[in-house]
Amino acid sequence: MSEVAVHIEHVSKKFRLYHERNQSLKSVIMRGRRSVHEDFWALKDISFEVPSGSTFGLIGSNGSGKSTLLKCLAKIYYPEKGTINYNGKIAALLEVGSGFHPELSGRENVFLNGSILGMSKKEVTRKFDEIVDFSGVEQFIDQPVKNYSSGMYVRLGFAIAINVDPDVLVVDEVLSVGDAAFQEKCRQKFIDFKTAGKTVILVSHAMESVREMCDQAAWLSHGELVQVGDADATIRAYLNSLPGDHRAA
Amino acid sequence: MRYIKEVLQSRELLANLTLREIRGQYKRTIFGQLWSLVNPLASMLVYTLVFAFILRVTPPPGDPSGLNIFPVWLLCGLLPWTFFANVVQQGMGSILGNVGLVQKVYFSRIVLPLSKVGSVGYNWLFEMGVLVAVLALVGSFVWPWLPLVLVAMVLLAIFAAGLALILAVANVHFRDTQYFMSIVMQIWLYLTPIIYPIGLVADQSEKYGGLFGTSITILDIYRINPLERFVAVFRQLLYDNRWPDPQDFLLCAIWALAVFLFGLWIFRRSEKGLAEAL
Repeated sequence: MSEVAVHIEHVSKKFRLYHERNQSLKSVIMRGRRSVHEDFWALKDISFEVPSGSTFGLIGSNGSGKSTLLKCLAKIYYPEKGTINYNGKIAALLEVGSGFHPELSGRENVFLNGSILGMSKKEVTRKFDEIVDFSGVEQFIDQPVKNYSSGMYVRLGFAIAINVDPDVLVVDEVLSVGDAAFQEKCRQKFIDFKTAGKTVILVSHAMESVREMCDQAAWLSHGELVQVGDADATIRAYLNSLPGDHRAA
Repeated sequence: MRYIKEVLQSRELLANLTLREIRGQYKRTIFGQLWSLVNPLASMLVYTLVFAFILRVTPPPGDPSGLNIFPVWLLCGLLPWTFFANVVQQGMGSILGNVGLVQKVYFSRIVLPLSKVGSVGYNWLFEMGVLVAVLALVGSFVWPWLPLVLVAMVLLAIFAAGLALILAVANVHFRDTQYFMSIVMQIWLYLTPIIYPIGLVADQSEKYGGLFGTSITILDIYRINPLERFVAVFRQLLYDNRWPDPQDFLLCAIWALAVFLFGLWIFRRSEKGLAEAL
């Protein structure tokens, strides 16, 4: 636990709230400026470290900035201030099966999606059987994915993503895909991940699974970091802040 | 330099995305790849009927090839044009058309417009292959010029890619771009000597002489259009079977590199903000 996998330093992310969003040239010319907006800081000066080999949970209510932070970690958004440093290769799992082409077969899509996620052809070829086996769609792998059931679709997407084999895996509530058996397989995969010394950062609203899987957690509220540290303590503090019957015993 | 390395690292992804376009394009059609020929053939028929038969446009015969066939002459300019127009049109929409990917996965965004160059280029290669076969059939000795044709094709692809990069970014910020460009492309087609020979413009230019008391003629202004140079080079190689005019060839190369570098610079500058702006 001595090493740091991800180092987040004073990260702030601003969004523009447009009162009048002008995405047309006409309004630009008529008004002489692009649009009227006001700044909204979705993340305010967030700093923490994710230790290497840990499973790290991001918790907080809706709109607290969890997903924004996750997208910053995944390099989809770029923070206005601050830096994020990684130790090793990072892969993000924000949505499964993005980039699938409906007319192409499962097999072709595995290679396509694998390369979108940063795997080389050799790697995909090596892991192909494992991916297909994990997804459980062997029988239909040469069918176009538009004929897949939604469960098969996400299972195949998830199987590819989980096999990217990064040093840091960033996951957004995609654990809830598939049936109970598949979820069990995913859980096992995460445990394997952890034993291999890899780091997982996940966002979830399901406190039970966060408590079960994570050893560290960070609690965000309105874009600010409230508490970071041991998962149990952070979750308890978070639940206690909620009104009503969510209070933990 | 780091950027170039990053783009090079994603060449496999580029290849895969290009293959996705190519494989997905004509899926579930009976004629498959043949459809790629139908469009230029249909335009060829229409333009030949209107411009050669009704309006009696007569391009000069190929020198020294001696060819004098309007449809073939037309295709030598029309095929590069359709490639160019398709790359610009599809490349421009490539970021907007892949919102799901751009907002969910990190990868070098530049592969999206570039994959369009690849997939449209694949069709173009196929079309040009058919054109070369036709040229050979009608007696053009085109074979020795093919390497230079390939070079010219690469230059045009670079030029088109540069423009597509600029427009792809512009289209994310201003959705007007795509509608605006469809008009521009239409005008551009008629401002390029594709369906009529440049000689007709030269005649008019001669008549008016220098504009506003200067020595600049209509033809000079007309020839600023980079596509004019490209079409001239393709015709010189394919239809006339002779060395391309060095000035034309050089200008093609300069235009291609300049536009591509500018496109790359624009794209790189705004790449990071794309996911948000969508």
